[in-house]
Amino acid sequence: MQRRQLLQLSALGALPASMGLFQSTFAQTSGAIQFGCPVPMSGAFAANGKYADLGMKLAIEQYGTALKRPLAYTLLDTEGKPATAVRKVQESAQQQGTRFFAGGILSSEALAMGKEAEKAGGIFITTAGADEITGADCNAATFRWSVPTFGAIEQTVRPLIDLMPKAKRWYTITPQYVFGDGLLSAAKNIFKEKGIEHVGNSYHSLAEKEFSGYITNAIAAKPDVLLLLNFGGQCADTLRQAVSFGLNKNMTILVAWASGLEQFESLGADLCEGIYFGAQYWHTVDSVLNRDLVKRTNDTFKANPNYSLAGSYICTKLLIDGIIKAGSADQKAVIAALEGMKYQGLTGEEEVRKADHQVLKNYYLLKAKAKAKMKNKDDYVDVLSSGRSFLPVDQTGCKKA
Amino acid sequence: MNIYLLQVVNGVGIGMLYFLLAVGLSIVFGLLRFVNFAHGAFYLLGAYFCYQMMEWGSNFWLTLVLVPLAVGAIGWLTEKLMLRHVYDTAHEFHIVITVGLALVVQELVILQWGPLGTNVAVPDVLQGVVMWGSFIYPKYRLFVIGFTAVLAVLLWWVLEGTRLGSAVRAGSESTEMVSLLGINVFRIFSLVFALGAATAALAGVLAAPIRGAEPFMGIEALGVAFVVVVVGGMGSFGGALLGGLLIGVVQSVMSTLWPEGARLMIYIAMAAVLLLRPNGLLGRKE
Amino acid sequence: MKNNTHFLLALAVVLLMPAFMQSGSLASEVLIFGLAAMGCNLLLGFTGLLSFGQGVFFGLGSYTIALTLTRWPLPMPLALLLAIAMGALGAAVVGWVAIRQKGTYFVMLTLAFAQMFYFIAYTATGITGGDNGLLDIPRPSIVVLGQTLWSLASPWQFYGFVAAVFLFAFWLLQKVSRSTFGRTLLAVRDNEERAGAIGYNLKLLKLQAFVISGAVTGLAGALHAMMTGIAPLSNAEYHTSEMILVMTVIGGAGNLFASVLGSAFYVLTADWLSSLWPRWLLLLGLVLMAVSLWMQRGLWGLGDSVWRRLRSKLEKMHE
Repeated sequence: MQRRQLLQLSALGALPASMGLFQSTFAQTSGAIQFGCPVPMSGAFAANGKYADLGMKLAIEQYGTALKRPLAYTLLDTEGKPATAVRKVQESAQQQGTRFFAGGILSSEALAMGKEAEKAGGIFITTAGADEITGADCNAATFRWSVPTFGAIEQTVRPLIDLMPKAKRWYTITPQYVFGDGLLSAAKNIFKEKGIEHVGNSYHSLAEKEFSGYITNAIAAKPDVLLLLNFGGQCADTLRQAVSFGLNKNMTILVAWASGLEQFESLGADLCEGIYFGAQYWHTVDSVLNRDLVKRTNDTFKANPNYSLAGSYICTKLLIDGIIKAGSADQKAVIAALEGMKYQGLTGEEEVRKADHQVLKNYYLLKAKAKAKMKNKDDYVDVLSSGRSFLPVDQTGCKKA
Repeated sequence: MNIYLLQVVNGVGIGMLYFLLAVGLSIVFGLLRFVNFAHGAFYLLGAYFCYQMMEWGSNFWLTLVLVPLAVGAIGWLTEKLMLRHVYDTAHEFHIVITVGLALVVQELVILQWGPLGTNVAVPDVLQGVVMWGSFIYPKYRLFVIGFTAVLAVLLWWVLEGTRLGSAVRAGSESTEMVSLLGINVFRIFSLVFALGAATAALAGVLAAPIRGAEPFMGIEALGVAFVVVVVGGMGSFGGALLGGLLIGVVQSVMSTLWPEGARLMIYIAMAAVLLLRPNGLLGRKE
Repeated sequence: MKNNTHFLLALAVVLLMPAFMQSGSLASEVLIFGLAAMGCNLLLGFTGLLSFGQGVFFGLGSYTIALTLTRWPLPMPLALLLAIAMGALGAAVVGWVAIRQKGTYFVMLTLAFAQMFYFIAYTATGITGGDNGLLDIPRPSIVVLGQTLWSLASPWQFYGFVAAVFLFAFWLLQKVSRSTFGRTLLAVRDNEERAGAIGYNLKLLKLQAFVISGAVTGLAGALHAMMTGIAPLSNAEYHTSEMILVMTVIGGAGNLFASVLGSAFYVLTADWLSSLWPRWLLLLGLVLMAVSLWMQRGLWGLGDSVWRRLRSKLEKMHE
């Protein structure tokens, strides 16, 4: 009895859908402009995701509306997995009509989402680091705010070489994947140019937590500078273990791709003292927008903005500003508005390069201070230098149709 | 000193910690025939409890004693209240329930301490390195080697020289016989499980100053523990020691020989042992 | 009549989802992982083999379809068949090695294989794209004799394709599970020694189960790659194997439709919960513990006992 009814019900509702004629409609021209925040909220990168969410929230609440339409956003937990990220972007685009996405902490998920956003007729802006995002895998829908490998190395390795002309022997520890290789080859180019002896390199896998073996390699090579090209949790583990081996006392350590405030918080000032860090952002950077952001973040969350929050904030803000400038929420119009846009960003004047959608901005070289010299609980570093270095477009491999 | 010699010494250091991590898993399996996928969760709790106690002002030495006791108690309760009920079921439920438990513990840790990892300070007296020619090694890691060695002797004595130990070893052969002899098998089960949890937690406390405390350290620890137990032989104390040292040394030496493959080698070693000596290096025939 | 019940239930799920769900991708994901869970169930529920290696076959399917649709282009049906074949081949290799062990050692061996495959996939960047995975996987339309029959571009259109493949696979697997082979597998699960004593070639049986499981899981991996357009490294990760296993156990072992239930439950609940609370894994953990303690026959068992109780009440009312 019940089975038959079940079949009747399903027959009624299903035929159109399973033939692919099902179309969901949503108010696109009026009603809220939907944003999506696809970031890892569970899994190993949950910490970054949590702050990225706060960053978008801050920007959305700050503007409230654009083009007389309210702004709304949905948090999409990617779990740190590209497949989940793609699916959730697909779903959000379908179900809520979301066209504007800011997120993608991990390179693998950012690459995948960029492609999906293009398919979905939306725009995706990310802070992930892989060169391919605005390089070989660039597309019309993807934008990137952070500085990729070339600039990160140029703005850290080069100034440090100039600071320490006698330090001729450098050892590198590199995560073995495309991003790590990108950092390494950029570094090797500078080594060649400046006559630095690259005394050795240890590759390691992305799942590694035990770095004592690689540190032992480094000690045996007797370098003047240890260059760490890994990031996040692995970078923290390597640093912690390197300091325990006393490396900070008999050589200089440079972390090319640091995560910023959250990393210093979890490592502590004592461990970081005297170590050089490269960073995309620091909360003491003196720009109008940054001072405003610091104030907002302190007012709302009683804390200084860290990189995850700041990155998400500026990415969202860029999207909103693009929409306002274009005067419409149409994908092509907003892309056109964003391309070439010059604006006052968190790091000073910033520009969205038209050819590859890479934002041109500063990258910073920081040096961690002694705990005793910290003026407040977040005053971990002195900003030594900053600057803009980007590969010319014809060398990035980006060929947008 | 030749780099490979350095790596072997370093490998012993890593290996001793792996042994401590794995021995509880091995003994629990030997007696209870229970694969505890929540073993990494006890390691995780050990590291975080150590961090929390030190935040409250206690010193490291006190945490070395108190944290394993606390986590051991948690293990004891877990076995008594929950795990006991699935012994009779198919072994997939042993795995699924402990996988669930591991997830719950991990998420509770994040709820309590946040998703970002944190540092645990090395006790002052153990800071710094020892230098011997070109050999540099952190004092703390030497301490870990020494401490785990002493602990290994202690555990061995408990297993070989006490009545409890004999009951455990006999129970590994046949729980029926042991209960026929009048020993309360269930009480031993709880005790052994608690011991397993306590040793994992102790490994966590010792690892915390080296690795810091972060919510996903349990997953990596579990992977390593499985490899060590399989390589050494499930249920064998000596196997856990041999397996731990072997895996530690392999990993360390590979860092020089084939750096990117260091992790992969661990699993290749595991598969090789499973194929050539299925019961592990020192395991008994099933 | 009873023979067709499960198939009809599967058909009902396939037809109901578009009516009640808004996301074609989510519905496709339910069916795709339903396939994977059925593959796992064939090993676990029918043969008593708990395999942590399903991620290997899923990943192989994804990578194969990626390579055969982008780098070495083949027509889509052929590419799909090749992905199935690769899944089966991988399973044959893993199975052949793993079944030399029993019980927990078997589980450990599959775990070792899963980890090894992950690291190999991570290292062989030329073939697998390493951590980035393989991207830009197209969704070619179904073309017969130059006529485009069926475009797969939109999520719901693709769902239709997945649904057709799923139902066909379900029907095939049912035939397998109901055949002599399937019932022999059950005998092996229930009492391996006796089955061996009667004279069954245990190793061959288990290997065959592996191969079929691998084929189905490879198919699932391929469909997943087409749906998302990527073949990521995470498809080969331990977590994927764990997830498939969890779905199988939650659904209930030994029953193909139960795996569909398990997959639906996991995929839909995870999707819903993850939008509510970042710590949704906590709830999943609790569910797993509850199932192990009180619901060992899984959701299917739950449904079954409820159904039985209702029926006996109805029968009592009729008296």
